[in-house]
Amino acid sequence: MSFDWLNPYHLQVASFILINVLLGVSIYVTLATGQLSLGNAGFMSIGAYTSAILTTRHGIPMPAGVLLGALLAGASGVLVGIPALRLRGVYLAIATLGFGEVVRVVFINWETLTGGAVGIAAIPQMGREILAALGKTGFSPQTLGLRNNQFISLTVFLILLAATLLSILFFLRLSSSRVGRAFSAIRMDETAAEAAGIDTTYFKVLAFSQGALLSGFAGALFAHTTSYISPADFTYHRAVEILVFAVFGGSEHLLGPVFGAMFLTLIPELLRFISEYRYIIYGILLVLMMIFRPQGVIDPPLLGRLTGRKAAEGA
Amino acid sequence: MALLQVVNVSKSFGGLAAVSEVSFTVDEGEVLGLIGPNGAGKTTLFNLITSMFPPTGGRIFFRGEKIEGLKPHSITRMGISRTFQNIRLFAQMTARENVMVGRHARSRAGIWGGVLRTGSQRAEEARIREKTGELLALMGLAGHEEFPAGKLPYGHQRRLEIARALAAEPGLLLLDEPAAGMNESETREIHQLILSIRGLGVTVLLIEHDMSLVMKVCDRLVVLNFGEKIAEGTPEEIRGNPEVVEAYLGREEDDGDA
Repeated sequence: MSFDWLNPYHLQVASFILINVLLGVSIYVTLATGQLSLGNAGFMSIGAYTSAILTTRHGIPMPAGVLLGALLAGASGVLVGIPALRLRGVYLAIATLGFGEVVRVVFINWETLTGGAVGIAAIPQMGREILAALGKTGFSPQTLGLRNNQFISLTVFLILLAATLLSILFFLRLSSSRVGRAFSAIRMDETAAEAAGIDTTYFKVLAFSQGALLSGFAGALFAHTTSYISPADFTYHRAVEILVFAVFGGSEHLLGPVFGAMFLTLIPELLRFISEYRYIIYGILLVLMMIFRPQGVIDPPLLGRLTGRKAAEGA
Repeated sequence: MALLQVVNVSKSFGGLAAVSEVSFTVDEGEVLGLIGPNGAGKTTLFNLITSMFPPTGGRIFFRGEKIEGLKPHSITRMGISRTFQNIRLFAQMTARENVMVGRHARSRAGIWGGVLRTGSQRAEEARIREKTGELLALMGLAGHEEFPAGKLPYGHQRRLEIARALAAEPGLLLLDEPAAGMNESETREIHQLILSIRGLGVTVLLIEHDMSLVMKVCDRLVVLNFGEKIAEGTPEEIRGNPEVVEAYLGREEDDGDA
């Protein structure tokens, strides 16, 4: 059996798509309560740096590093989410964007901990770690007909796929439950939601920290996929990129940003053959979206038609 | 014992006294009308009772417990629900989902219940749906369950908002002008609905400008003018009260309703 068609480069692109899907879901989770947070690049960097530092310097096993990275990002989300309650709309967006920049500047300047602008290298890579662990038991990828680099890329892809599918399932189920109804109610009319007995403070902070936790999770997985991170990975370009996933894909349903992240990560790769012009096409696509479909590609009526049901959301 | 006691409650916005030193009680099981000309402070009083903002002075007790200063969602949990003068539905949700949200205070499933779909979560969802169906039927909205709330006709929206408020199983329901903008037959329906709400054992505090409705449906009336209580009594007593007539109509005789 031969898997020559399994191209590590394609698998790597697919892996980055999955990380971006997680980030797309993370902005949606907060947006589900009507809060536009552009701080997810910052929370992503907290997750990435936490796991990178714990695994490289303190010998913490990778799964524990990823978990702690996500939890620390989620806890920072609570700390940012509470003062964020006072801000709305574009003011919240600006403040959270500022938060992300502050985090990045801290990472650049706290050189003893973070390696400064150079960043952290030689972070354990998921695929290589698993290959090494299996190697000790006498396993070789060749028995599966795979080259080592194919096996490594495939392992990373499969782990990310599982993490992404589980996250999507988690938040899809949440959105059609009592908690999800409370989130939507707050987005549509906060005063009426409070009058309906919903503790809006609790649910807004909850949504904010869930988004932060998921960003941190994506960041930690990112660190263990590329095995090298630096502050340049988490600039405001990243924050805006995450926002564009939701704007392009649609922000009224969880699957909107999922689609946006997949499509917008894939397009520049597919258009590589026209090199410099590909970002022009990317830009034209966004402008056309603004004009013809401002709510994004995916919205509940479209999902309703696709699944043949009247109400796609909730139910 | 009085269900709700409002004791010397005042509220000023800047220098303007919207409500000053108002006291009244609502007894268990009655329909109490809160009437007065525009700007008399009726809706402000609703906002004070539901703690949308704190009073400048005075105290409010519900079932003997002090409730001023609590968060609005805690007030709902304690058993006071309300509707809004300018309907506030969750417009993009269906009628059913609106009422299901109203059930929030009487259900408890959290994140893990919702994600793992535990047995108790599914049983609770089933109860929420059952209760929601009953309330929609009671409010005459059967058949409109899957309609987006924002696209329902105006009269239906009013009744949906009442259904959502009832979903929290209130002991006291505050209705802010439920018959506003309705024609005569719709107003008669609202009359019947208020009677059926009372039949559920829910006490009603009603703000309404439609005097024929108020006189028919209310057991007692409290009259406000310029933030002060000017009269209190049965509809017959209020009808004959010269101060009330003057507040509404000025000194000239007229047959206007509001």
